[in-house]
Amino acid sequence: MTVSHPEPPASEGADWPSDWLRATLGFFALHALSAGPSYGYAIISELERNGFGTVKGGTLYPLLTRYEAAGLVTTEWRAGDGGPGRKYFALTDRGRAEKNRLSADWLRFTALSNRYLSDGQHTKEVTT
Amino acid sequence: MMQETTDKKWFDELILELRLRQVRGDAIGDTVASARELLSDSGQGAEEAFGPARNYAAALELPTAPRNEWVKKALWPLLLSLLAFLLFSQAVASWVSSEAMLVSPAQVAFLATPVVAMALLPLYINAAIRRIWVLIALVAICAMSGLLSAVATPATQADAWLALNPLPWLVGSATVMVLLSIAITIRSWGNDGEYITDPRSNTTPRSGTGTKILTLIITNWIFPLLALAMLGLALALR
Repeated sequence: MTVSHPEPPASEGADWPSDWLRATLGFFALHALSAGPSYGYAIISELERNGFGTVKGGTLYPLLTRYEAAGLVTTEWRAGDGGPGRKYFALTDRGRAEKNRLSADWLRFTALSNRYLSDGQHTKEVTT
Repeated sequence: MMQETTDKKWFDELILELRLRQVRGDAIGDTVASARELLSDSGQGAEEAFGPARNYAAALELPTAPRNEWVKKALWPLLLSLLAFLLFSQAVASWVSSEAMLVSPAQVAFLATPVVAMALLPLYINAAIRRIWVLIALVAICAMSGLLSAVATPATQADAWLALNPLPWLVGSATVMVLLSIAITIRSWGNDGEYITDPRSNTTPRSGTGTKILTLIITNWIFPLLALAMLGLALALR
């Protein structure tokens, strides 16, 4: 089996507030697995390539470990091509459903946020 | 080279922290292998990619054995073996010289010190493993109490609190040590959960069967072996 590394990641968007990334990393990681099983560095590279900055292994792996314990992902060690094996993560049906639910919620939330920010309407306290 | 040394230290610390959390050997092996995989892919150092080993071990929240399980499995047998060994060491010299085993209250207090120190191990084991000076102080206290117990041995039967026939104590303590070692060996031989296995090969990366047998003999039979050496020494010096 030949394993090719993803493209070198872009540095665009590396300075997002850490709170934003903490809130979204979970379903971004699930989304990264929606195309098929993947491994740690490939997930990190995909997120970086899409402008979310460099996610550290110390952040990603605990998240994936929790998802595995919750039954959202499964893991499998696959033999490498002349090198050490890789741990592949794959979405379960439950993980896919959770990803779809979170993605839909996020889209609704961002639509609301965008509407609020672009309308320029502010709720003012009415004094009589 | 410098990075390799730093990473090795980080991985040693990670394994230690996971051990302290009572994580199973196969889960530790999986964690180590996946961390190595990422470092190999990214070219980063371990601390840079994962942060401090202690924090990373905590963040993983891996399933752990019940907190008191090791006390039942390891500490109590160890404590009983130590007690039996201390009794044996007191009885052997008297038996070899065909004298009564003389005991004074001070001697009992000094002999009880390592037993109490061992019994309180659950309270300070993490500190003892993480800080070498705690471990050194513990060993020094136990060694000192052993020396003082020898000094406090009564010279004559008149000075003694108790004068006992050493043979039943010698045989009894030796039997307890051997039975406990047999029980621990049987249990640990079948318990592969303690060994760190590499998920990429399903083997223990650091030791083969020969090393496993040697480790089992040394760790599980340490007190009977020491007792045998003490008996040999006492007979030789008679």
